[in-house]
Amino acid sequence: MIQFSDHKLKKVQEIMSRYPEGKQKSALLPVLHLAQEEFGGWLDVPVMDYVASLLSIEPIEVYEVASFYSMYNLKPVGKYLFEVCQTGPCMLNGSDDIIAYIKEKLNIRVGETSADGLFTLKTVECLGACGYAPMMQMGKNYREHLTKQKVDEIIAQCRANAN
Amino acid sequence: MGKKLLLAKADVPGIRHYEVYRREGGYRSVEKALRMQPADIVEEVKKSGLRGRGGAGFPTGMKWSFLAKPEGVARYLVCNADESEPGTFKDRYLMEFIPHLLIEGMIVSSFALGSNVSYIYIRGEYDWITDILEDAIAEARSNGWLGKNILGTGFDCEMYVQRGAGAYICGEETALLESLEGKRGNPRIKPPFPAVKGLWGCPTVVNNVETLAAVVPIINEGGEEYAKIGIGKSTGTKLISACGNINKPGIYEIDMTISVEEFIYSDEYCGGIPNGKRLKACIPGGSSVPILPANLLLTTAKGEKRLMNYESLSDGGFATGSMMGSGGFIVLDEDQCVVRHTYTLARFYRHESCGQCSPCREGTGWMEKILLSIEQGKGKMSDIDLLWDIQRKIEGNTICPLGDAAAWPVAAAIRHFRDEFEWHVNNPEKCLTENFGLRHYADPVHVPVTA
Repeated sequence: MIQFSDHKLKKVQEIMSRYPEGKQKSALLPVLHLAQEEFGGWLDVPVMDYVASLLSIEPIEVYEVASFYSMYNLKPVGKYLFEVCQTGPCMLNGSDDIIAYIKEKLNIRVGETSADGLFTLKTVECLGACGYAPMMQMGKNYREHLTKQKVDEIIAQCRANAN
Repeated sequence: MGKKLLLAKADVPGIRHYEVYRREGGYRSVEKALRMQPADIVEEVKKSGLRGRGGAGFPTGMKWSFLAKPEGVARYLVCNADESEPGTFKDRYLMEFIPHLLIEGMIVSSFALGSNVSYIYIRGEYDWITDILEDAIAEARSNGWLGKNILGTGFDCEMYVQRGAGAYICGEETALLESLEGKRGNPRIKPPFPAVKGLWGCPTVVNNVETLAAVVPIINEGGEEYAKIGIGKSTGTKLISACGNINKPGIYEIDMTISVEEFIYSDEYCGGIPNGKRLKACIPGGSSVPILPANLLLTTAKGEKRLMNYESLSDGGFATGSMMGSGGFIVLDEDQCVVRHTYTLARFYRHESCGQCSPCREGTGWMEKILLSIEQGKGKMSDIDLLWDIQRKIEGNTICPLGDAAAWPVAAAIRHFRDEFEWHVNNPEKCLTENFGLRHYADPVHVPVTA
C-alpha cells in the first residue's frame, strides 16, 4: 500500500496549513516533490492517486500537473539522474561536448538509463547557472564548471556510493 | 567603483545568517517602515524610480498603487523567484548568500501592501536555496520580524517558500499564480490584472527578488536618495549576471552609468574575453532580448557610447538596439556561431511553451526545426524568409509574452547576422567544420550625417 511515512505526512499537513481554508490544492506541487522523493524517484499512477486523495482533489488534477512540469518523472529513472543543461550560455562553454562524453562513458543515449540501473541522462533547458557553465543538476544540487575529468570523478563517486 | 546597495555586505563572513546580518544593520528598514503609513512607503518607492528587475522594467511604485483594496478581502504579495531566463542567475545569488535581504524587503513591502501572508515562488531546481530561505525565515520569525504583532505594531505577517517544478513559463506572473494554486502554469488572459484578481482571486502584487530587495535601501536612505544614483529613468543599482565568453563570469552590481565597453573589458567586471579573442556579439538582457553585433553593442547607431542602462541599451529600438531585460548578459566571442546559438534558444522556447496559444505552440517548434536544418547545412535560402515570417506571426499574437520572447531572438539574429545564415545555406559542407567567424560584425558603425 502506498503511504507516506508519519514524518512525511506531518510535513504534508504543515504544507497544507500554509494556504487559506479550502485552498489545499495549492499544496500539490510541493507534495508531488515529496512523493517523488519517497516513492522511488518517479510518480507512478497509484502514487498520484494517493496524492489526490490526500489533497481531496480529483486524480486528473494531479496527472495534468505532473505531466506539465519537467521535474516530475513519469517513468522510472536511475539511482543518479544527470540533468545536463544545453541552452545557449552552456553551449557557448562546451555543454555539447560534455553531453557527448557522458553518453560515451555510460554507453547510453539521452533519456536512457544505464544497464546497471545507476544512471539516467537527461538534457535540460537553462537551470540558472550560466556563469558556471557547463553544468548539470544531480539530485538536490548543481555540479558546475564541468570538465571531462570532473564527469569521471562524479561517475566514480556515484559508483562507489552505490556499492 | 560604483555604489553598492544590495551586495555591499555580500562578502561579510556569515552574512547568510541572522546574527551577522542584523549586526551589519539588517532589518533597520522594517523598524523604520512599520512606523510609517503604508501609503507613505508606496510613495517612497514611487519617488525612487525603481523599475521591476525581473525583465519588464515596469515602475514598481506604480504597480503597487494599482493594488485593489476591497473591504474584507485578503491581499497578497508574491515574490517571483522563478528565475529561468537563459543568461540570468542574479536572484539565485541574492537568495543563496543574502537571504535576509529579500525577507527584509518582503516584510516592508507586505506591510506597505497589506499582505499578511506572503509567498516566495522559487524555481523547483533551486532546491538547496529553498532550504536556505526557509532557515532564514525561521530565524526572522524567532527574532520577532515575522508572525503576529510584529514589533508591537499590530501587523501580522507570515512568509512561505513554494517550489515550482521546472517550467520557465511560471516566471510570467499569471502563470506563476496558477502554479501557486496547484495548477499547470498556463498564463491567464489580462485583464483582470493580478492587482485586482490575483492569487485565489484576491488582489495580488507579484515582484521579482531583486526588486523586493531594493526596497530595503530605498526605505533606509529614502526614495529621493536612491533616485540620485544612475541616469534618467534608470535609477538605483542593477544586478547583472554575466556569462558566455568572458574572463570573469558572475554577478555584478552596477550603477547604471558605466558603458557596455567598460563592463565587458574592465577588470572590475567581466575582465575581457578569454584567449585574446575578439567580441562578436552579445545578448545584454537575457535570452529574449535582441542580440547585437559587437559594433552596435558598443556604440549606438547615432555613434554614441552605449551605456549599461534601460534607455541606452534600447536606444535605436529593435532596429539597432536591444533591452536591459533581466540583466542576463551573454557574450559571444569571434568563434561562436550565431545560428547555432539561436537554435539552442529556439529549442528552449519550444520546450517551455505552455501550449495554450497555437502561434507559440506550433511556431516555436517550426523555428527550432528550421534553425537546426540551417545550422546543419541542410537549409534553403527561402528558409531564412520563412523563419522571419514565422517569428512575425508569433509576436503579439499570444496570451502572454513568451511568444514575443521566442520571436525576438530569432528576428534579431536574422536582422543583424543574415550573412551568417546565408553562408550556412551556401556552404553546406564547410559549415559543419568551420564557423563564419567575426567578419564585419565589429566594424565601425556607419553614422549617417544629417544636414
